Amino acid sequence: MPRIQLGDWVDDGVSWLVDHMSWLFDAIKTVVEGLYDGIDAVLTAPEPLLLAGILAVAAWWLRGLVAGVLAFAGFALVDSMALWDKAMSTLSLVLVATLIALVISIPLGIWAARSRTVSAVVRPVLDLLQTMPSMVLLIPAILFFGMGVPAGVVATLIFALAPGVRMTELGIRQVDAELVEAAEAFGTPPRDTLLRVQLPLALPTIMAGVNQVIMLGLSMVVIAGMVGTGGLGGAVNEAIGQLDIGLGFEAGLGIVVLAIYLDRMTGALGAQISPLGRRAAAKARTAGNAKVWNHRPSPAMALAGVLVLALVAGGLGVFGSSAQDSRATGTDVGQGKKVTIGYIPWDEGIATTFLWKELLEERGFDVTTTQYAAGPLYTGLATGQIDFQTDSWLPVTHAEYWKKYGDQLEDLGKWYGPTSLELAVPSYVKGVDSLADLKGQSSKFKGRIVGIEPSAGMMGLLKDKVLGEYGLGDEYQVVDGSTPAMLAELKRAYAKKEPIAVTLWSPHWAYSDYDLKKLKDPKGAWGKGDGVHTLAREGFADDNPEVGAWLKDFSMTEEQLTGLEAGIQRAGKGSEQDAVRTWLKKNPGLAEKWAPTGAGEGKTGANGVSNN
Amino acid sequence: MSSRLEAEHLYKVFGRRPQDAVKRLEQGTDRDELREDGTTAAVIDASFRVEPGEIFVVMGLSGSGKSTLLRMLNGLLEPTSGHVSFEGENLTALGDRELRAVRANKISMVFQHFALFPHRSVRENAAYGLAVQGVPRAERERRAGEALALCGLAGWEDSWPDELSGGMQQRVGLARALATDADLLLMDESFSALDPLIRRDMQDQLLELQKTLKKTIVFITHDLNEAMRLGDRIAVMRDGRIVQTGTAEDILVRPANDYVASFTRDVDRSRVLTAGAVMDPETQGDEADCDCPTATPDSPFTELCALSARVPHAVAVLDEDGELVGVVPSRRLLGFLGDRQGDPESCTGSHDAHTARGGKVTAGA
Repeated sequence: MPRIQLGDWVDDGVSWLVDHMSWLFDAIKTVVEGLYDGIDAVLTAPEPLLLAGILAVAAWWLRGLVAGVLAFAGFALVDSMALWDKAMSTLSLVLVATLIALVISIPLGIWAARSRTVSAVVRPVLDLLQTMPSMVLLIPAILFFGMGVPAGVVATLIFALAPGVRMTELGIRQVDAELVEAAEAFGTPPRDTLLRVQLPLALPTIMAGVNQVIMLGLSMVVIAGMVGTGGLGGAVNEAIGQLDIGLGFEAGLGIVVLAIYLDRMTGALGAQISPLGRRAAAKARTAGNAKVWNHRPSPAMALAGVLVLALVAGGLGVFGSSAQDSRATGTDVGQGKKVTIGYIPWDEGIATTFLWKELLEERGFDVTTTQYAAGPLYTGLATGQIDFQTDSWLPVTHAEYWKKYGDQLEDLGKWYGPTSLELAVPSYVKGVDSLADLKGQSSKFKGRIVGIEPSAGMMGLLKDKVLGEYGLGDEYQVVDGSTPAMLAELKRAYAKKEPIAVTLWSPHWAYSDYDLKKLKDPKGAWGKGDGVHTLAREGFADDNPEVGAWLKDFSMTEEQLTGLEAGIQRAGKGSEQDAVRTWLKKNPGLAEKWAPTGAGEGKTGANGVSNN
Repeated sequence: MSSRLEAEHLYKVFGRRPQDAVKRLEQGTDRDELREDGTTAAVIDASFRVEPGEIFVVMGLSGSGKSTLLRMLNGLLEPTSGHVSFEGENLTALGDRELRAVRANKISMVFQHFALFPHRSVRENAAYGLAVQGVPRAERERRAGEALALCGLAGWEDSWPDELSGGMQQRVGLARALATDADLLLMDESFSALDPLIRRDMQDQLLELQKTLKKTIVFITHDLNEAMRLGDRIAVMRDGRIVQTGTAEDILVRPANDYVASFTRDVDRSRVLTAGAVMDPETQGDEADCDCPTATPDSPFTELCALSARVPHAVAVLDEDGELVGVVPSRRLLGFLGDRQGDPESCTGSHDAHTARGGKVTAGA
């Protein structure tokens, strides 16, 4: 069987597109970003509870009092979990994706309903788009649109397109042929037949399609979070990345609230705008009983309610905006300049990222931090969308990324080292102290070494070199997974005192939480330890000479790092920056040492200012 | 004066290379042979004329091509060959736009399953054709209201189709067709989906309306009783061909072939036949000399039976001038009530064992 080089062709095709069609992608990106920013601005402008009120009135109008009350309760819950902004950005993302999906899918569905050829061509394409694993589409989306919202929207869009097209086609085909014939028999032009007969009658089915588009869009949100769209999807990813079950659940619940609200609202909207649905509702009303909780305000009333709330919201927004933003209390070096920090959810990365976020914000910079997986993080740095990241393990662990992107990156130097990579076993596992001891013990460990993300540098090193060096390749299987999964597995085994071998590295908080043995590496197969480097995009240090200099001089001791990590661990997810602030307060002088402003040499230090 | 609606040598073939199929059909190829090639000849060489104000019924079983034929009359289906002309205009030669204009203004249609728009009220349904014509709202609502009143639906204008019974829904369908003032009404099995009592009502109402409206109507049905009740003339279709065209009595009394005859077997003859069709025109001249009651050629069959029971001899049939035109012996009545056309068979050489063919026939409508 000859090898068909399909993958190569796809590679070539993608690079050709990147090289030659960038104007198109840039145009799409601009449109998507514009839409997203517009919707997000509208949604985040009013006070959360006011917007919740507006959404609740809409629910009351469309579905009744109970739905209105529940909607308000749901959104209030989201707000109380401090996920409001994230929820709104997710909502914007889904709305933009839905909007574009409908603009594409409804005409396409109509066309497919009218032409068997089109239908036959469209169907397999839709199957491909819908069943192709979304990560496969996500990576080209990053190449075309870069990290962030447009890539997320496009990936969501592609995934969510299919039901829109299918249901539109189905709805139109389902319209009684005799009705279409009747329209034609009275001389109706084809366009009017479509607009006056087929579309109105197909509307319930089309609305079911819209509903599906939105639901699929929401289900895609978490995956889109991996390309840095932020929002609830990003929060879920972060939480999972850090094994924070509680936060993951909260963010997940936020998605559920959005999903249920959008599902019920589009369902009810379908009944409201389709003539058949209105007819059915009117029938139900005359047949059924008029109870208070079934009462629904008239559209005019609802509109008035929404308007009043919106006006109040707008008014409060005006007053609110002046009260915000009294952030830059230290010496204003940054003058609002935007800095983007990316990080991998590893503890030292989180600690230093939020340390620098705090330091830079104190100095007047406008800092955004976003969590990524290692691959996208390097891609983002190389394409200049991320300014810097603090967690690059060089020269060994991240060697492959350095090889690929090194010439497009600026190494701002090592701030910690040396590190080490190792396999670790709990200390209750007797007789296994070095890698060589693992030989012949595979039954004890069920032949498994629990690994982390297959894309991680140390996983390649382990599989290709370390196992071979000690002759363990035949005995042990390295289980691919993720860092949180590995840690969860370690926690479970540790609690039951089962033997387990995991990939681990130092520094790591697991060594302080559990009594673990690092397996010795007499042959030096793991190589020499890495240094943890700060990498910046090309030209960042030139654009921001102060920050560049601060980062180059930055270094931390193990005591400082573990202390900060422990503080963050205690404060919990979502309060990283508070933990940093507290820690800086306890260690006066460090802020000024790491990011000297020259002016802020006062006794209390620039870090001592409270911002509440 | 030319006839209002004229169909000449209409063919409709579905499938590949329809033109070839038409040629082969013209050369006498059988329909079944074509079917083996995957082409279906739905209508073969159909020609007929419909006069103004006439109800022309096309009767046939399902699959006989009658609905296809009807749809070629208003251009919903394009004939594979042949042409249709209406009021001297060749519809087959028209483009889509002109054809739509003809359908909007001159031809309307009533459907088997009513085909009312469920998302429009009764009034909006009745006004649909006018809306397509672009008649302003006020006027079209007024005219739709009139059409609904004509069909006995006054007061139901603001109801919805799903609130009406089947018969009322079809009245809306009829009102929709009448509202446009189209001269030609195509009715596709319009009463077939209704239950028998309602169907009779609708038939009566259509005949009643026709007395004043004088539309030209082409009515499709598979029910010969209905065809006989409604049709001024009837075309019987079988396997895509029109096998006989004629009045109800032509079909009943002089079926063109066994197929048509087998159809007429189930017909309630007493409703269709009249004295004119049943009588023996060969008279001796003295049958009307007594004071017994007599019949006219238009007397329905049931009346003849009643008369025959009261008079001791054959019933005399007199025309308007009081002239004797024929006699109806009671034996003849019994013969016609059965499925036999023509005379009752007799023993040897009975005096009334003559053929009834050639007798004067009157329209049964």
